[in-house]
Amino acid sequence: MSGARRTTAAFLRNRTGLLGAAILLGIVAFCVLVPLISPYDANTADFTAVRETPSGDHWLGTDQYGRDILTRLAAGGRTTLLIAGAALCVILVLGVGYGATSGILGGRVDAAMMRLLDGLLAIPRLPVSIVILVFVGLQAQNIQTVVLALAIVNWMITARLVRGEVVLRKRQEYVRAAQALGAGRAAIARRHIVPNALGIVVVAIFLELPAVILGEAFLAVLGLGPEAPTATWGNIALEGITFGRLWLVFLPSLAIGVLAVAASLFADGLGDSLDPRRWPGRNPRRFPGRRARAPEPKPS
Amino acid sequence: MSLAAFVLRRLLWAIPVLLLVMLLTFALMRGAGGTPFEPPEGVPGLPAPLQRELTDFYNLDEPWFVEFATYVKNVATLDFGPSLVNRYRSVDDAVEEGFPVTVELILLAALWAVPVGLVLGLFAAVRRGGVLDHLATSAASVLLVVPVFFVTYVLSRYLVYEWDVFPLGWDTWTSKVLPVFALGLAPAGYVARLTRAAAVETLQSDYIRTAWAKGLRRRRVIGLHVLRNSAVPLLSATPPMLALLVTGALFVETAFGVPGVSNEFLNAARAKDYPMILGLTVALTVLVLAVNLVADVLMAILDPRLLEEKA
Repeated sequence: MSGARRTTAAFLRNRTGLLGAAILLGIVAFCVLVPLISPYDANTADFTAVRETPSGDHWLGTDQYGRDILTRLAAGGRTTLLIAGAALCVILVLGVGYGATSGILGGRVDAAMMRLLDGLLAIPRLPVSIVILVFVGLQAQNIQTVVLALAIVNWMITARLVRGEVVLRKRQEYVRAAQALGAGRAAIARRHIVPNALGIVVVAIFLELPAVILGEAFLAVLGLGPEAPTATWGNIALEGITFGRLWLVFLPSLAIGVLAVAASLFADGLGDSLDPRRWPGRNPRRFPGRRARAPEPKPS
Repeated sequence: MSLAAFVLRRLLWAIPVLLLVMLLTFALMRGAGGTPFEPPEGVPGLPAPLQRELTDFYNLDEPWFVEFATYVKNVATLDFGPSLVNRYRSVDDAVEEGFPVTVELILLAALWAVPVGLVLGLFAAVRRGGVLDHLATSAASVLLVVPVFFVTYVLSRYLVYEWDVFPLGWDTWTSKVLPVFALGLAPAGYVARLTRAAAVETLQSDYIRTAWAKGLRRRRVIGLHVLRNSAVPLLSATPPMLALLVTGALFVETAFGVPGVSNEFLNAARAKDYPMILGLTVALTVLVLAVNLVADVLMAILDPRLLEEKA
């Protein structure tokens, strides 16, 4: 697939996109490696070292139970990323299924499905996921219920992007040619539309990532996250709020913010790289971004 | 299609969405099993006569579709019914008392966030590629990604509890300053980013070049041509913007003791007060649908081509 190779080549020249990818990888590496290297366990209390400030032993200090904050932050990142990853998988299935069905069927079905999607996009997301959590997670709040609650309210943007891409692909000459040669709907969808729409799916996933990570934190801060002592970024922030420690609220907030920025940089960069007009070797004058700028007005 | 027909059609489409939200919430509650009268730990149960009365009101002993139909009928007549937990309070009370406060909070926040975001975004777009653009764009991104609970925690802890600069609650205008400020931050960043994107696009178009070439003043070009033509993409971002505000209100109301619906909603969720949760979810959804409808209509007035496309 030379399209994928050219997309990669274009992406490698996209500086902000690369920066986003590097930060994302850095965060993942931090969350995976730190608990392995760290001499401390994320959930073991140590009442001889409570509420310490950062030091040589505890680089980011300790919390109200004497747990090492650095280790806990990384372990929390693991859980948060795990929740986000699982939720994104569900979002992928729902969003691609709905969007592709709508786009491939077209016509009145498509119109009705898209109008319904407009409506679903308008529902208040956090309240609805709270309702889901409260009633599905009646017995115990665990990772699965949080994943479900986040996925159910966050798949709509993916569905819309996938549907748009499918509709776009359907109009293209190679699909028309396949139709003229007598290929059926399913064959066209499988051979031509799905492989070409893959790129936009990856973009969609990274566009949804910040919403899912923030959603986890919001639910946890409202006391609906996985039960203690499980560390997630949201749970750590909740402990900071409960025990009045700004430091504990700040660190996970920072992690969430950095992750959100990196994910959107990466998604934007990748989205640009999927545009054939930006592939290396094309006429640079056709770059939409390089059009002549509006003349700067003279200061009057 | 005329504007009136467009509005009517949109209104009709809101009904299935509302029914869907109600059905979803309803199904979740039924699916959870048990009876609504099992009290949570530490809470005394309701007396038997009251239980009978509530069972009658909600048709709880009928099959689920009768129960749902009863509920829809009640809501259609604006009767949300009594709370299952607090016998002195009906859902209507909560909606009537809490909703105006929440709506006021959201409106006031939007009232400062949208103009500030517009100015910041336009400023960045005009100086595209410069240092000031990078500064403004970064500021907008930071505003957007800082979790709202961090902002409310810092503001409420220091300015309210420790230094006593602002009072809690919602009675005086001084108590409204912090909630409104905290709630508007993320939307301001969002509006700024959208405005910059829309204005950059508009600034490159031929009619703007013509406007400069005619020798129009900067204020007129930016204020009239750029702003007006960026209005439609901005209005189309109303749903996510409203989502930011509704989500933020949950945290802002809790942190600053604002007596809006969010506190009521969270308490009801913890106490599993079914009718209260259903009623507040329905009311919130109506609010969101109504605001989005207004945005759609404004867009159609500004750009009549949308009447054909979006119908």
